[in-house]
Amino acid sequence: MSLLLPESGLLLWMLLTFGVVFGILARYGFPVITQMVAKRKEYIDQSLQAAKAANEQLQRLQTEGDAILAKAREEQARILKEAKETGERIVNDAREKAQAEGNRMLREVQTQMREEKDEAIRDIRRQVAVLSVNIAEKVVRKRLDTDEEQMTMIARLLDELNEKPCQ
Amino acid sequence: MWRCVWNWIKKERDLRRILFILLLCGSTLSGLATAHEQVDVAELVIGHVEDCYEWHITTWGDTELSIHLPVLVWSRTSGFHCFSSTHLYPAGIEHEGLHIATEGKYKGKIVEGDVRPFDFSITKTVLGLLVNSLLLLVIVLTTARWYRHRQPHDNAPRGFIGLMEMMVMMIEDDVIKPCVGSDYRRFSPYLLTAFFFIFTNNLMGLVPLFPGGANVTGNIAVTLVLAVCTFVAVNVFGTRDYWKEILWPEVPMMLKCPLPLIPLIELFGIFTKPFALTIRLFANILAGHFIILALTSLIFVTAAMGPFINGPMTVLSVVFSIFMNCLELLVAFIQAYVFTMLSAVFIGMSRVGTRENRKRE
Amino acid sequence: MLLSAILIQAAASIGLVKVGAAISAAIAVIGAAYGIGKIGSKAMESIARQPEAASDIRTSMIIIGALVEGAALFAIVICFLTLVL
Repeated sequence: MSLLLPESGLLLWMLLTFGVVFGILARYGFPVITQMVAKRKEYIDQSLQAAKAANEQLQRLQTEGDAILAKAREEQARILKEAKETGERIVNDAREKAQAEGNRMLREVQTQMREEKDEAIRDIRRQVAVLSVNIAEKVVRKRLDTDEEQMTMIARLLDELNEKPCQ
Repeated sequence: MWRCVWNWIKKERDLRRILFILLLCGSTLSGLATAHEQVDVAELVIGHVEDCYEWHITTWGDTELSIHLPVLVWSRTSGFHCFSSTHLYPAGIEHEGLHIATEGKYKGKIVEGDVRPFDFSITKTVLGLLVNSLLLLVIVLTTARWYRHRQPHDNAPRGFIGLMEMMVMMIEDDVIKPCVGSDYRRFSPYLLTAFFFIFTNNLMGLVPLFPGGANVTGNIAVTLVLAVCTFVAVNVFGTRDYWKEILWPEVPMMLKCPLPLIPLIELFGIFTKPFALTIRLFANILAGHFIILALTSLIFVTAAMGPFINGPMTVLSVVFSIFMNCLELLVAFIQAYVFTMLSAVFIGMSRVGTRENRKRE
Repeated sequence: MLLSAILIQAAASIGLVKVGAAISAAIAVIGAAYGIGKIGSKAMESIARQPEAASDIRTSMIIIGALVEGAALFAIVICFLTLVL
């Protein structure tokens, strides 16, 4: 029965002891621990949020960078194309000009050659005339008897003269 | 089932060897033991479990090793007395008008003539209580001190501090927060103190060496004070709606008006809940101590019956004591956990809001 | 018939109080063991049905187990009271 009846002295001591223990631990013991763990949880949550925001920003910057890079590459392609076209255009112009120049020079030369040829032919005709006159004089001294012989002689001489400059 | 045990023993070679050695030791030691007089098991068990004015540690041969504790008595007739209990042992010797009664209603307690004065001596239970409270304070304040100069972004603690933090947060997150509700921060220090106080005292009651082994939580005065603290926490901080539900519940008028049946039942319920808390903790721990002491005294009871009975009984007793001690470790934790959880649930039920608030929650 | 005769003989010699206390303690423990066994078995079934609710079920099982044991311990305390009063 004494096991089931609380002792007054023990009740007093238990009240005192538990009161003191509760007072000390409720003030200096458990709140410190639980608050520190709560702060740590908050810090972890904050860090997670900051990491998430930083990640999003990184993503955004990356997409922007990619866009800029794509634009730059486009620009590069365009410039290259333009440059190629310009180059080709210049080359074509130069070629045409050279061709025109060549043609012109060719024509000039041809004209010059024709002129010189005519000049040469005239010169040769003159000389032929002079020679023929001399020869004719000689022949005439000899035999300017017949017209046909004269004509055949002159024709033969002219043919021979015509052949020579062409050689 | 025995086949399973037998197969397990056959597999575990080390276990077989241990059992064999135990059997051998038990037999030889009990053979060496001289036959004492018949051991009174009831007296042995009750003596270890009850409160006492001295702390008997051991009996070495003929000398008894015990610590005599101070006696503090206030008597209405002869005033205040304070002396060591050496003067009162062996029981029955009178000193300053006081003596320890050897029979009757106040057996084992200090009486003055026939009446019992106000006795607030430092008995074995009180000393055990003080030692365990000191141990608890040391452990928890050391843990709290670790956090003093540290920032939230530092590493979490490891080792013993980590264990303590884990246990504190386990109770706070799994028991206090869900059971008490939204204003748990206000009641969390009391509930945490109650849990660790009961757990420490339960564990120290299982340690057989001084200063453990005092039956603190197996004493009804101790558990009564704890239950009264819960009672105060539940009823003093109860909201108006809580009291309204008790004294004027929403039940048909017939059960309330001429004869307040339901309010009476509810009022009765207010008192049975702390009473149940008291008895549950007290009886569980006391029963555990009884069982362990009875199993251990099995050795001494069979000592007089010769070595052939004593040997196996010793082995049996040791094996069962090991099992019972493990069970008691579990019970120590579970009883502290259940006390804290039920206190948290009662506090949560008393902090109930109005019906509209509850519907909104 | 024979059993009751033996019981009455035993009761008369030992004292009816002790027999009564012992028998009532035994009945109380039987009730407690049955109740806790039932709780345990239902808890096992529920955990097998829904393993992810295992920790909730375990917590509830421990609480209810402690409450049932508390009721049985009331009876033990009364038995003890009858022994000493």
